Amino acid sequence: MTPALNRTIGAVTRSLPGALSLIILAVIIGLAISAPFLPIPDPAAMEFDLYQSPSTDHWLGTDNYGRDIYSRVVWGARVALTVALGAAFLSILLGSALGAVAGYFGGTVDGLLSRVFDIFLLIPTFFLILLIVALFGASLPLTIVAIALTTWPRSARLMRSQVLTLKSRVYVQAALAAGAPQWWVILRHVIPNGIAPIITDGTILMGMAILTEAGLSFLGLGDQNMVSWGSMIFEGQRHLRLAPWMSIAPGVALLLLVASLNLLGDQINFAMNPQLRTRGGAPRKRASVAPPADEPAPSDTTPILEVENLRLEYRTPDRRVTAVDGVSFSLPRGGSLGIVGESGCGKSSLGSALLQTMPNNAEMTAGTIRFDGRAIVLDGKPVVEKGRSRIDQLRWKRLATIFQSAMNALNPVTTVRRQMIDALRLHKPDIKTSEAAARIGEVFDMIGIPRSRMNAYPHQLSGGMRQRAMIALSLILEPDLVIADEPTTALDMLIQDQILGEIADLRARLNLSLILVSHDMGAVAESCDVVAVMYAGRIVEIAPTRAIFDNPAHPYTRTLIGSLPSLTGPLEELKSLPATETAAAAASEGCRFAHACPSATELCRTTPPPVVALSDGHRSECHFARDLAFADTREATG
Amino acid sequence: MRLPQYFLFRLLQMIPIALFIVVINFALIHIAPGDVSILLAGEGADPAYMQSVREAYGLDRPLYQQLGAYLGQVLQGDLGLSFRTREPVIDIIAERIPATLLLAGTSLVLASVAGVVIGALVARRPGSAMDTAVTTLSISLFSIPVFWLGLMLILLFAVTLRWLPSSGMMSIAGPREGIGHVLDIARHMVLPVVALSAVWLGQYVRLSRASVSETLAEPYVTTARAIGYPERRVMSRFALRNAMLPIVTVLGLELGMLLSGAVLTETVFSWPGLGRLIYEAILSRDTPVIMGAFLIMSFTVMLAALLTDLLYAALDPRVSL
Repeated sequence: MTPALNRTIGAVTRSLPGALSLIILAVIIGLAISAPFLPIPDPAAMEFDLYQSPSTDHWLGTDNYGRDIYSRVVWGARVALTVALGAAFLSILLGSALGAVAGYFGGTVDGLLSRVFDIFLLIPTFFLILLIVALFGASLPLTIVAIALTTWPRSARLMRSQVLTLKSRVYVQAALAAGAPQWWVILRHVIPNGIAPIITDGTILMGMAILTEAGLSFLGLGDQNMVSWGSMIFEGQRHLRLAPWMSIAPGVALLLLVASLNLLGDQINFAMNPQLRTRGGAPRKRASVAPPADEPAPSDTTPILEVENLRLEYRTPDRRVTAVDGVSFSLPRGGSLGIVGESGCGKSSLGSALLQTMPNNAEMTAGTIRFDGRAIVLDGKPVVEKGRSRIDQLRWKRLATIFQSAMNALNPVTTVRRQMIDALRLHKPDIKTSEAAARIGEVFDMIGIPRSRMNAYPHQLSGGMRQRAMIALSLILEPDLVIADEPTTALDMLIQDQILGEIADLRARLNLSLILVSHDMGAVAESCDVVAVMYAGRIVEIAPTRAIFDNPAHPYTRTLIGSLPSLTGPLEELKSLPATETAAAAASEGCRFAHACPSATELCRTTPPPVVALSDGHRSECHFARDLAFADTREATG
Repeated sequence: MRLPQYFLFRLLQMIPIALFIVVINFALIHIAPGDVSILLAGEGADPAYMQSVREAYGLDRPLYQQLGAYLGQVLQGDLGLSFRTREPVIDIIAERIPATLLLAGTSLVLASVAGVVIGALVARRPGSAMDTAVTTLSISLFSIPVFWLGLMLILLFAVTLRWLPSSGMMSIAGPREGIGHVLDIARHMVLPVVALSAVWLGQYVRLSRASVSETLAEPYVTTARAIGYPERRVMSRFALRNAMLPIVTVLGLELGMLLSGAVLTETVFSWPGLGRLIYEAILSRDTPVIMGAFLIMSFTVMLAALLTDLLYAALDPRVSL
């Protein structure tokens, strides 16, 4: 058994709905299999006890022919399960085969088959099955085949998309390159790997099949030779007043079986995609604190943003990951700070903490953030003043953000102009329409978007224009500080340069303070006075831009700049670390970069490095910070 | 492309699908056991009528000509005559459509509005106990066989408590005009609407929960929060507005499934709509009516898919017309 399968089964059995549905399914299957051996009357045996209400002799009573209802319900389970398994098996078999063919061969084959799938999805299946059964005569096998024949496009579509993603995978390509015939590759590699979501869907399919058969039987199209729950209800409805138990029992059985199948499918789906359960949501209420009593009034020299010892954790049921681990910095009014690091280093988490837009599973556990001298976060808790959190008072008027716009940062169903007007109106409810229009025009001119593009929807703009629209939106209320998170990452180099130039230019003109979060040292160098390098949740080096390029005093900074003079041997390539490894690095005893550092010593592995102050505003967390800075200086002068 | 042109374009695309459905119908009668003329005219029909059916469908000619004749018939809106009443099937069906529309339409509006609201509320707290409870409950709701739920409602509210009528659309001796008539119909509608919308409600709660929680994780929602919109507005203007798109799509695609529920509900409550008609036709083996009903249901679902497309195009500026 694969670990993934084990994990899925574990997650399903641990959840209450999952466990409950498994138990119900087990009981129903157990009863159905053992029906012939159970000490219950023959389901067709008629006695003289007509319309007996439930009693110790007949647990669920008897019907209009004196037949035992409990026995009939148990035998009916056999029919329901036969329909479920038979129809789902045939449907999945047919659907997977056709879906795999469509996905694998693509082109015309795919075009034609996909068209057929689409047509079938538009046919009301229940009525087609009804017509087939009405024309060909009611029998269980026919019903099963009819259900399969009308439901297969479900699995076909699933399999097709699975195969489309799978066929580019390495092992499939490798098998083909090794000369394996195509049909063999489909059977051996593609179908087994694509079947998981189809099996999950199979539980839903089984539920549908059971309800379809019950519906047909209820309309009088059930197999006369079998005891089906649907036909029991069909007969029961005529005796509803006299013997309601005739209808109640088979309906409850249907509900239990179908609900447990659907619940099971749902739980498997959640277990395989855990983010489905917890993703999104409204921001949860967090513990807050009152503002400190003795807050000095801000002066001209008060930094626009001060961060002290900020920590942020992500919490999942089984573990905690510290993404920001004691970060401190201070940004003077009008200053600009670049935060650089590879993905997973915590730089975006830091950005979301500053804006307090982090997801619900993230928690600030310590630290203070002051905006213009006023605390907005104290001891990791948001500061609330007169019932309103301080960050809310700052939003967009003083503190705005630029997200990476290629990633849907603008509302896709609203025009750019509308989004600007809404943001303006939200914070200045009294603004006149003409004033708003004038302000938007002004910002558009400033940012270099032709006014004719104002009424465009985000998707109608090019990547560069969309990013400019996001910048325009952030500047609409003349904020003091803008936090830009990877603002140019998805753009091509030329546009990147242009936009970074424009940001730098605007910053100077508007006396903006800027925090630029990026993985790109070059981007940061161009637009920031100070650069902070983040690794595994900490700022490992911070310095004025010149100093960090001239005298990088941390081995990681050097790898980022791409100028690592190895002291011990030949140049080594730095491996990019996935997030889990970064987390492991953060948990290590010594220096968190030691495991990847080419010049790490025993000291590095056992003792966390001190913060070494090198020159004005230049700090590095490396045991050998001075040597590194010094080595460079010597090289430069020598 | 402008909207009317787009509509026309999509309508043209429906033609092959419509043809396909008619051909399925044709193929089924010919593959089915028994004489085609008996299937179409009914057992024990008088020889003169039998002969007229043979001629109308060209049953003595080769198969492809029969298909042509059948297509011609359907195109003219001629779905044959009912065995039982000898009336044109199309008229019988047309007569039943308003009742079905009233029942299914009311239930659909109730279920979709309530479902979207409940789903959106639950999506605000994914993974909470409330979320698990509502999700489990809505799965159980759409696992209920609708006809059985109908019977249970009758048992409780009509037989035991005697609060509401159990069948039909109006009282036999009730008023036939004015507010009294409307109230009479409304009273008869309560139980079937409750049964039908309860089952559909489960579907919409789940759909809306999934769709809204997905949009709440989108970057533009984070932007909206950073801008400072109150959460209520984030939900309505950003999350719900975008979540409506997949909801509308599924709504259109699942109409066929919804209609099958309506048929079963009508059967239970003797509601004089299409579903009841199909049930009566099955009991009297009235094949032309069953076939006609299948065709009409299929065309309705196609039309619904078309309207969904248009609605989607109107809601989502990214759809290029």
